[in-house]
Amino acid sequence: MNHNLLEVKNLKTYFFTRNGVVQAVDGVNLALRKGENLCLVGESGCGKTATALSILRLIDSPPGKILGGEILFHDEDLLRCPEERLRQIRGREIAMIFQDPQSSLNPVFTVGDQIAEPLKLHLKLNSKEALERARELMEQVGIPQADERMKDYPHQFSGGMKQRVMIAAALSCDPEILIADEPTTALDTTIKAQILDIFHDLKQARNMSILFITHDMGTVAGIADRIVVMYGGKIAEVGTTFDIFDQPAHPYTQGLLTCLPNISAQQQRLTPIPGTIPSLIDPPSGCIFHPRCPKRMPICDQEDPPEVFISDEHRVVCQLYKQPVTSPGKTGDTHSAQ
Amino acid sequence: MKKAGLRGYIIKRLIYAAIITWGVVTITFVLLRVGPMSPADKYLSNMSARTQDPAQVVAAIEARYGLDKPIYEQYFDYVVNLARGDWGWSFSNSLPVVTLIRRHWVYSFQLILLSMLFSATLGILIGVFSAVKRYTRTDYLATLFSFIGISIPNFWLGIMLILIFSVQLGWFKSYYDTGLPMFSLANLKALVLPVITLGTGMMAGYTRYARSATLDNLKQDFVRTARAKGLPERVVIGKHVLRNAILPIITIIMFDLSGIVFGGAYLTEIIFGIPGLGRVSFNALFASDYPVVVTITLIGAMVVLLTNLATDIVYTRLDPRIRYD
Repeated sequence: MNHNLLEVKNLKTYFFTRNGVVQAVDGVNLALRKGENLCLVGESGCGKTATALSILRLIDSPPGKILGGEILFHDEDLLRCPEERLRQIRGREIAMIFQDPQSSLNPVFTVGDQIAEPLKLHLKLNSKEALERARELMEQVGIPQADERMKDYPHQFSGGMKQRVMIAAALSCDPEILIADEPTTALDTTIKAQILDIFHDLKQARNMSILFITHDMGTVAGIADRIVVMYGGKIAEVGTTFDIFDQPAHPYTQGLLTCLPNISAQQQRLTPIPGTIPSLIDPPSGCIFHPRCPKRMPICDQEDPPEVFISDEHRVVCQLYKQPVTSPGKTGDTHSAQ
Repeated sequence: MKKAGLRGYIIKRLIYAAIITWGVVTITFVLLRVGPMSPADKYLSNMSARTQDPAQVVAAIEARYGLDKPIYEQYFDYVVNLARGDWGWSFSNSLPVVTLIRRHWVYSFQLILLSMLFSATLGILIGVFSAVKRYTRTDYLATLFSFIGISIPNFWLGIMLILIFSVQLGWFKSYYDTGLPMFSLANLKALVLPVITLGTGMMAGYTRYARSATLDNLKQDFVRTARAKGLPERVVIGKHVLRNAILPIITIIMFDLSGIVFGGAYLTEIIFGIPGLGRVSFNALFASDYPVVVTITLIGAMVVLLTNLATDIVYTRLDPRIRYD
């Protein structure tokens, strides 16, 4: 049985800039299951956001272009469906919230209007019904005095409250999937915890599938069911939260985890991953991580790394785990997605 | 609280406006008195019959209009009369200036209103379209036309339009007829060429401003949010982008409005024989009919002041982030 709600297969999204072609997403496979919280992690510029935007075809074009792959939602390929169909899905079945709530809300409309907008569009509610529903949503995401505040404009809200407004707008049509692109990055730590609580409740109460994008491993630990680690536009490792934190296989994942401050260890300094992320215009040959990899082997800059299943749920893309003959089945896209 | 802030602001601005108006009144008064001719001379030179001794007539006139009084008294009378609505007497038209203005202002108003509507609507439409279709042939064509539009001087365009469409093609031959209703078909037809003359330059400007403001806003994150909600592009652009892009354009439109009240509209009225304030002041200038000239100058100054105030108030309606307190 296919319990994947959303499958991204071999997605390629490139940006055609003046300086060259940025291979922001280069052959990404991932699958989002019903009711799970899938976290997409990686450093800034590794293609997380480009992946998320590609799902709803929100990549700015030009310069961005989705060159290939499939994005299957209920067996419908979102990359090939007509624009009109896609608009029915956006906000109704797959909703999205963004990193910076400050700039993601339109400054000249009241927050009530902005939350009510998808309701009028998709559920054909009239203004009064939509605003009433917007008020309920604001209460659900913990905005006090929703009655009054829905008539206020975005600049009258704090960052955390604005992100709550964004969440309320995204939840308005009760979507099956919520894509959250670094929703807590622009927020203070205490506010961040509150927003993460909302996400936690959402999953519990609505059985919503969430694709949560972040660069913060600390956030991931608290909310993820499964984790996808991206590096340089490609997937490095996929596994359950336990797999990734307990037995990280990819040297990059291991590096990310040693960057986390640990209160029990007596370490004085954190261990950063040496080097910086490579240019995606002219990526390194072979494994894109090899210039920074502490476990580099001669083969790493020669060949693309293979995808290896460590367990059913845990796969890694690295030469270290290359098994001589017994790769599980055909290393085709369909299996790798799960 | 918000409303009270705005009301206080308006009152403050009206007080400023009153002070500036007083300044303009004073300056015009001084300019008239320091001129080489006494106002009475000007009056006299407009009179056809000069049978009497000019010196006697001048003295009589000076006595009648209080020009023999000390200068500060004259100034005081002048200001008081203006405030009471007595704006002087037009020598050349033999009418009170107020009556003259009352008779002619609507034609200027109509021309300016229609030109603003024409240039703003078309300019914003083309500009937004140009931004959405950026770097395509359509965009380049719009850019070319707007540069041509900005470069052509009003008076030359007016003359060329008359030459081509009235003289050669004979499409727009009628003149504005004050005997007909203002919005009669014949009069609207007579206004087509003047509106194009006056509006083209502004329209071309608005096209550029609308294009760049739209491009700026298209890059904003809230546009992506709007698209992620599933809104059709028409709503994303027409509602979310335009409402933000319109703000800087409003400033330019209001600025132009005060500009054309002084300049372009007058010239256009003269070229096309529209009986508005422009033509009145043009005639008055050549007749040295100074009360008319002064009054129209004052009206212009007040239009500028009130337009600026109106712009600020419109802003608070359009952009909730703007507060005056």
